[in-house]
Amino acid sequence: MSKKQFQNILIWTSAIILIILIMTPGLWVVLTAFRPQVDVMAKPPVWIPRNLSFNQFETMLFGGSEGSMGRSPVPVLSYLYNSIVISFTSTFVAVLVGTIGGYGFARHNFKFKNGYFLMIMLTRTIPGISLSLPIFILFSKIGIIDTHFGIILVFVALNIPFTVWLTDGFFRQIPRAMSEVAMTDGCTKLQAFWHIELPLSKSGIASAGIFAFLISWNEYALVSNLARSTDSKTLTVGLMDFTAQFTINWPGMCALAVFIIIPALILTFLVQKHLVSGLTFGGVKG
Amino acid sequence: MAQVELKNLSKKYGKVTAVQNMDLIIPHNQFLVLVGPSGCGKSTTLRMIAGLEEITGGDIFINDEKVNDKDPKDRNVSMVFQNYALYPHMSVEENLGFSLKIAKVKSDEIEKRVTEAVNILGLEDLRSRKPSQLSGGQRQRVAMGRAIVRRPDAFLFDEPLSNLDAKLRTQMRTEIKKLHQKLKTTIIYVTHDQVEAMTLADRIIIMKDGYIEQIGTPIEVFSKPANVFVATFIGSPPMNIFSAEIISSNNQTKIKLDENIYFDCNEDQKNKLQNIKEVYLGIRAEDIMPVDNNLNTGFWSFKKNIDIVEPLGTETQLFITINNKETICRMYNPYEVNVGDELSFQVDPRKVHFFDKESQKTIF
Ligand SMILES: Nc1ncnc2c1ncn2[C@@H]1O[C@H](COP(=O)(O)OP(=O)(O)OP(=O)(O)O)[C@@H](O)[C@H]1O
Ligand SMILES: [Mg+2]
Repeated sequence: MSKKQFQNILIWTSAIILIILIMTPGLWVVLTAFRPQVDVMAKPPVWIPRNLSFNQFETMLFGGSEGSMGRSPVPVLSYLYNSIVISFTSTFVAVLVGTIGGYGFARHNFKFKNGYFLMIMLTRTIPGISLSLPIFILFSKIGIIDTHFGIILVFVALNIPFTVWLTDGFFRQIPRAMSEVAMTDGCTKLQAFWHIELPLSKSGIASAGIFAFLISWNEYALVSNLARSTDSKTLTVGLMDFTAQFTINWPGMCALAVFIIIPALILTFLVQKHLVSGLTFGGVKG
Repeated sequence: MAQVELKNLSKKYGKVTAVQNMDLIIPHNQFLVLVGPSGCGKSTTLRMIAGLEEITGGDIFINDEKVNDKDPKDRNVSMVFQNYALYPHMSVEENLGFSLKIAKVKSDEIEKRVTEAVNILGLEDLRSRKPSQLSGGQRQRVAMGRAIVRRPDAFLFDEPLSNLDAKLRTQMRTEIKKLHQKLKTTIIYVTHDQVEAMTLADRIIIMKDGYIEQIGTPIEVFSKPANVFVATFIGSPPMNIFSAEIISSNNQTKIKLDENIYFDCNEDQKNKLQNIKEVYLGIRAEDIMPVDNNLNTGFWSFKKNIDIVEPLGTETQLFITINNKETICRMYNPYEVNVGDELSFQVDPRKVHFFDKESQKTIF
């Protein structure tokens, strides 16, 4: 066996071990979603499921018969609707504002620029959970507690710094000459941005978008405080509906978890080529 | 077609002065070359004309219209950048047609003009390629094509050839010259390569530290440099500059280069050098020639040992040392010489340049 082959084997085994380690909890969640409660609670644990069923999903989505735990089903569709509205709107706004901000930082010089940039980034060092009480009090005073608007506002604020930082980096990579040449080609500043700089940084913007979306989609701690009812509760918060005073419906909860993961997975898959590939600036260097 | 006029143009970046009180008129169809060492303000001047850089003082006129506050898009000048700056996400065709698309020109007219440019520049087979799939020379051509398609009043070139290898550079140089003859447009061309400047220009501007040192035709700046800087900047190898003493006694005036080299001044020089004690004497390499058989009458001569021999084929460069200064001489019709040989050299006194020791300006 050559040294090269040995290295390859080493790399592959460690990669596989690592992947298994990372994936196991996820797999366990998926597995649990398809199993009856008895199997889940069994001691010692049942590793290989004896029978699988879609019961949990049926109950969750369509109410089902007098169900597994004899409880009324969770209003998953309302939660889904809330999640979609909140995540997409907040992502859209955060990416829009953040991209404009990133462009500003990348292309323009103004007083205290570094200070502003640092300040925006520092807001991310505050743990979100520590903000939940002040935000809760503020929102109840101005009456936007338990509304889409309030939660979107929080996510927008949460996601803008990251978007600014990421798109700033991407815009910096685009040579200034690019927009300058566009301007001598007859573009206004805005047209140069729209036709040249924006398409060239679309990888960065897509990455920022997916990150912002995942943060909003998966966030639990803040929303669990701000959302009180089906008016604004998201899927992640809905997970807690499966806990009762003395029992937890693990299969139900895991079914919802799978339900939450799937759209995020699909979306990530769709934009993953932007996450991986940098841009090649073939037009610039010889 | 455009006349470009700069009046007292200045640019400051904070405390740094990039361009200082520049006055210049560039008539229709002139090929003007701005040349000078790195950092002398060439790009800044060009960018101010294009409208990419705000001006600190003075005015810019294009066709007698003041354009100080006009956006780049309203000036109708095209710029070609050193690094080409092709749009990486567009094909060659789209790159060429972009300015017309922005100007909302009809698509059949765009097609016509793109085809025209493609034919002029020999890009027919590359129309659908992306910039990353092109060689340096091809990119360069696309960058020029993009400027041509727009039919601007003036072209601005900022060191367009400096990223190409030597051979391609010479080739593109000729193409740019042909292009100018075909398009008959005002061109302002920036380079720090004096050969490029000499070969392309109708008129050359030599800049240094934001100032214009001299303006003139290539022949003028070569044969009548305004000062030591221009003399050493234009021409290759650079002009030899000697610190020389003027010694007047009785009715004779001599120029002393070193302990053993004295040149007798002719009448004309004697008159012009009256009351001057020291000068810089400039002699181009080709004007210090080894004497093969007999000395031309009236020429100056001296003997020196050869330090280095550099054969170039049609000519040979010889290095000698005069007054501790490395001096380059040129031998046309070269014959075999060896390092250490003592040779006689002659200098045509009518071809030498005298510069003021203080100001370094040309005396005559
Ligand atoms: N954005 C800027 N901020 C501060 N100083 C600048 C800026 N751009 C240029 N300068 C300074 O202005 C002077 C002229 O620069 P410019 O780019 O015009 O030189 P150049 O003649 O084009 O040189 P090169 O041959 O290296 O391209 C330089 O001293 C440079 O450091
Ligand atoms: Mg420059």
